[in-house]
Amino acid sequence: MKSPVKNGVKDSGVTDEVRGQKVPSAWGNEFPEGAADWNEDFSRRKFIKLMGASMGLAGMGLLGVGCRRPEEVIMAFGEQPEGYVHGVAQYFATARPTRTGAVPIVVKSHEGRPTKIEGNERFYEEIDGQKFAGTDGQTQASILDLYDPDRARSHSAADGKQLSSEEALELLEELVKGNNKVAILTGQGTSPSCARMAANLGEKGIPVYSYEPIDDDILRRGAEKAFGQNVKPRYHLDKAATILSLDCDFIGSEADSHIHLRDFARGRKLRNGSMSRLYVAEPRMTPTGGSADHRLRVKASGVQAIARTILNLLGSADGKLDKDTENADWLNACAADLRDGGVVLVGHGQPVEVHVLAHAINEKIGAVGKAVDFLPAEESTAGSIADLAKASFDVLVVAGGNPAYNAPAEIDWAKLIKGKKVVRLGYYRDESAQGADLFLAQTHYLEEWGDAKTSSGNTLSVQPLIRPLFDGISELQLLAKLAGESKSAHEIVQETTGKSGDDWLKYLHDGFDADEKETVAVGSVTQSAAGSAAKPAEGLEVVFARDYSVDDGRFANNGWLQELPDPITKITWDNAVLVSRRTAEDQRLANGDRVTITLEGRSVDGHVWIQPGQADGTLALALGYGRDKDKFGGRVAVFDGKPIGFNAYAIRPGVAGFATGATVKKAGSGYNFACTQDHWSMEGRAIVREANLDGEHGFRKNPGFAGEVGLDSPGHASHTINPETGKPYEIYNHPYKERPSLKNAKIQWGMSIDLNSCVGCSACVIACQSENNIPIVGRDQVERGREMHWLRIDRYYTGFNHKPTEGDTAGDDEQEQEGWIDDPQVVNQPMLCQHCESAPCESVCPVNATVHDDEGINAMVYNRCIGTRYCSNNCAWKVRRFNFFDYNKRPLNALYKGPLASNEKDDPTGWDLVKMAKNPEVTVRMRGVMEKCTYCVQRIEDAKIAHKRKASQNYKDAVARGNEDVAVSSAIPDGGVRTACQQACSADAIVFGNMADPGSAVSQAKQSPRDYSVLGFLNTLPHTTYLARVRNPNLDVPGMDQPYSAREYESAAHGDHGHDDDHSHGEGAHDDHGKGEHK
Amino acid sequence: MSNVFPKWTNRLPLLVLVGGLLLGGGAVTGVSYYFTPKYTRVGYQPVQPVSFSHKVHAGELGLDCRYCHDKVEESWFSNLPTASTCMNCHDSVLKDDPRLEPIRVSYFGEDTNRDGKLDKEEDKNGNGENDRQPVPWVQIHKTPDYVYFDHSVHVTRGISCVKCHGRVDEMDEVRHAKSLSMAFCLDCHRNAHDNIRPLGKVTDLDWHGGNDFVGATDGKKLMEKLDVKARESCTACHR
Repeated sequence: MKSPVKNGVKDSGVTDEVRGQKVPSAWGNEFPEGAADWNEDFSRRKFIKLMGASMGLAGMGLLGVGCRRPEEVIMAFGEQPEGYVHGVAQYFATARPTRTGAVPIVVKSHEGRPTKIEGNERFYEEIDGQKFAGTDGQTQASILDLYDPDRARSHSAADGKQLSSEEALELLEELVKGNNKVAILTGQGTSPSCARMAANLGEKGIPVYSYEPIDDDILRRGAEKAFGQNVKPRYHLDKAATILSLDCDFIGSEADSHIHLRDFARGRKLRNGSMSRLYVAEPRMTPTGGSADHRLRVKASGVQAIARTILNLLGSADGKLDKDTENADWLNACAADLRDGGVVLVGHGQPVEVHVLAHAINEKIGAVGKAVDFLPAEESTAGSIADLAKASFDVLVVAGGNPAYNAPAEIDWAKLIKGKKVVRLGYYRDESAQGADLFLAQTHYLEEWGDAKTSSGNTLSVQPLIRPLFDGISELQLLAKLAGESKSAHEIVQETTGKSGDDWLKYLHDGFDADEKETVAVGSVTQSAAGSAAKPAEGLEVVFARDYSVDDGRFANNGWLQELPDPITKITWDNAVLVSRRTAEDQRLANGDRVTITLEGRSVDGHVWIQPGQADGTLALALGYGRDKDKFGGRVAVFDGKPIGFNAYAIRPGVAGFATGATVKKAGSGYNFACTQDHWSMEGRAIVREANLDGEHGFRKNPGFAGEVGLDSPGHASHTINPETGKPYEIYNHPYKERPSLKNAKIQWGMSIDLNSCVGCSACVIACQSENNIPIVGRDQVERGREMHWLRIDRYYTGFNHKPTEGDTAGDDEQEQEGWIDDPQVVNQPMLCQHCESAPCESVCPVNATVHDDEGINAMVYNRCIGTRYCSNNCAWKVRRFNFFDYNKRPLNALYKGPLASNEKDDPTGWDLVKMAKNPEVTVRMRGVMEKCTYCVQRIEDAKIAHKRKASQNYKDAVARGNEDVAVSSAIPDGGVRTACQQACSADAIVFGNMADPGSAVSQAKQSPRDYSVLGFLNTLPHTTYLARVRNPNLDVPGMDQPYSAREYESAAHGDHGHDDDHSHGEGAHDDHGKGEHK
Repeated sequence: MSNVFPKWTNRLPLLVLVGGLLLGGGAVTGVSYYFTPKYTRVGYQPVQPVSFSHKVHAGELGLDCRYCHDKVEESWFSNLPTASTCMNCHDSVLKDDPRLEPIRVSYFGEDTNRDGKLDKEEDKNGNGENDRQPVPWVQIHKTPDYVYFDHSVHVTRGISCVKCHGRVDEMDEVRHAKSLSMAFCLDCHRNAHDNIRPLGKVTDLDWHGGNDFVGATDGKKLMEKLDVKARESCTACHR
């Protein structure tokens, strides 16, 4: 069954004939290899054996007691707890602490168990009268960690004996008492209470060291070096007309991405017809680079030269580079734009010198005080891990972090702790817990008292939503214990705030302290930033990146994040050695090749993925993967006994963002990545529609550009128009035309997605997964294209000189051979059920399992579904997902193998835990049924019911006042329902509401000239529509007169297809049915 | 000729008869179980830990349903009273009745000498709180997991308890009175005007509109005033 297949595309390059047209053979093989097969581990014989047994059991059940509903009891309280109503969700404000900040959140709790995380709206200022608070994907997914069956469930001694928390703390006291020299190693954090305890420890002579593999602190060090003051920068991207990002992926892998994205999107919304311009110079393709108007791929070591050149150009009044200089157009345009105001950001992977240069540029262009201001930084007394390696101690307390796994390669952790006593406080029994003399199970942040500071200096409260599930101990409790503090964590936290009574309760209720830290004025850049532009280093360079899913490895056991496609590569359950096409060619590498990377004498093996837009001579490795199965017991991170990905920490010197002088050697080939999007080109089809802001074809001149492309645009394709009516043919039944009484004229739900704001960060995907009980399916199933995400984000590459008609190939060959992918533009498109009025899926369902409701929702009735999958086959957007297995019953690390093989018996507590993460307001689907986006119908019904109750109350009040003839309305006001994806979106790219109300935000959005339907020519009348994207490039740069997608569209439409008779307007170049939309 | 049919065929009529009876009996049993209100639990009347009589409390004493089920207008779930709700009256009425012992056990919890104070020696787990054990009432009415029925939106919108639960005020021990099948729900949703009643009469189980409140006119009018739309779409109840 195994065939030499890579990424689900078989042996491309050879062309087949399909309907008389030459197409690559990959098109003929529509489904990923194996999609139609059983898993090979699961033979037919085994299946019949198991089925036979289950049939037997079912028969016995029929005769016996199984058919009666089991007796259930209702446990009424002895006394009613205050403010608790059974069945009504409660919300509590708290915060998720990060390295250098915190995300203010509100957590929904059902019957005492937290189920969903949302941003805390109170914390943020309104934008255009809108209150919204996005979160990032990791914050959304962190709730799953709370219910992770693999988390440490008990404290234990060196011999493995389980201890209660009292016994564990006693043992701790025994270990640290007497003359033992104690040292403490923690991760980075912003908790004022922890800092207070650490200060107490310092007074007692116990040194505290801290280590983080992701060096977000470099922003502070850069500012310190530039200004000679202990300050850290804070950016306001909404206030900058031009943004230059120097290897700074502020949307994805930098700290506070949710705030950056909020500000960035605000500047891109085309309010008053203008938007900011983004320049990005970076070594690997990131979501930030994908959102750029001008992107320059450059080696990480070459970023410094760019910064220096820009600074030099700005130094002279009207400086310009000579035309022949490398990237002269780009740099000239960037410098010219920055002269008119803007801001420069530098990523955490760049050395301090580049940060200093950026501060010098910001100073020069007058950004300080506008788009960037400075906050006083905390005085940090903690030593580094290198200091720890030199220090002498007898007992090491490792609180948080995971240094045994992610310490710099030059530090030999085993040697460091040799002969020492180790106390480990960890969430998992992980690498750092190996050989510990005392292991303490750590609490989740939703189980503990604490506090944190945002990067802008606001104090946030962290309060427990639930009692520690496994008697865990928090970092604060441990530090307090070591500092000899006898107060409880609750008391310590309250003491730190200095609040009491109503102040304290208000602080807990709001989740934050409104007092913002004052910004400080900074002097001028003291460090001499002048100098000549250094040349980038020769040879291969390795970039180490914080992973979009697992971060530094802390989310390695989080199934939602592991299965979340990387926003750029769309690879799940893996990390890869990303290389550019040309570097692969030079090194004679192909996709899926196994390579050994050697850096400074250390080496690691990984698999190659050729990445469009990657700088040549650069290998990009994501951190956090490759967990050792003997040292880390997580069943997700080490799936089926095999570690996921490779461990890039093994070759990482220090905490550098990049290192030069690497070599690669091929060590094998034929590896499969579980990638969710094999096809990366739109092939000239008008799926994502784009225009420039200015210029001849620009949005300002032609706001309705989105309506002029695609088969649905006027006069483009006569064969889709019914000559009798002059309207497009109706292919599918229209439920409201067939049954007019069905339609609710007052409510028609609809959605509008602004592609101009969407950057593909994927927070919405996780939010949807959390809200709608979407299962993870595992790597083997993703390879077969069976992922369950109701909402996915399609990412396409477009090329400057890409002519889709000229014998295109797909997948691997495109990656490996075609030059246009070297410098592509990127477009993102969230794709979810379009809720068509004339839905193709409804027409073909034989059992009416998918039907239209009165409010415009294409409903899915799970109980009726018999799993024919006709609906999915007939869906042009491919948004329906099928439960091939009972994903909610199967063991975590294997397929579901029938009721007899259920893992539930092996680990009942673990299974109860997993179930606790479910949203009780949404059905948990079983095997054999189809599912898809419901527009979060549970939220709609919830809001409706609330307003209906209110209407009745208003009526009763009116009657009580003697007004018998009053009529009340139970309508939901605009904005009263928000879908999970909408609520999670920091960019406010998704608008949901009632299309039947012309004043609603969604109706307004659909009035925009940029509004269009994807595959609108099918005339299915989707309720989900998109706002076309507008790019804002500097037109002085050659080749930027049109977005690449528009060029592709025109070149595809100009292709040799013989259908150009029916154009109505001048260019006559938009008919694209030679290539695409009606495949 | 005698060799054509083997000997066992002599018993064939008997076998056919017995087989037929078994099959027929099975069919009758199956139909009478699955196709009748029995399957939907009509008549189900489990034994409760305390033989609480709705007839006495709601019928004869005239307590409003919402005295005990006080969150029914706020939540999808109609709560059962806490032990302390019972004890509001029963700390003076039937103070020492043995039938009420489970309620008192739940109400006093760790306070074993029942003086209203939690002494140190009573607080067995030492958390300073009185940990009370609940009374395990047996659930009678239950919709399947895929049905998201909401009490609050019905009782606040003029649908009486009696429509689904029957004359609970006439039952000594509650039994399952109506089928609560999907057809039952839809019958009501399709004729909401015949089932809605003035908001003040929702918990009056004995109320009959008679000529003062006619569904076809007054019911429809009330629905308009309250902006009631009894939906029949799947998404109203299934998510």
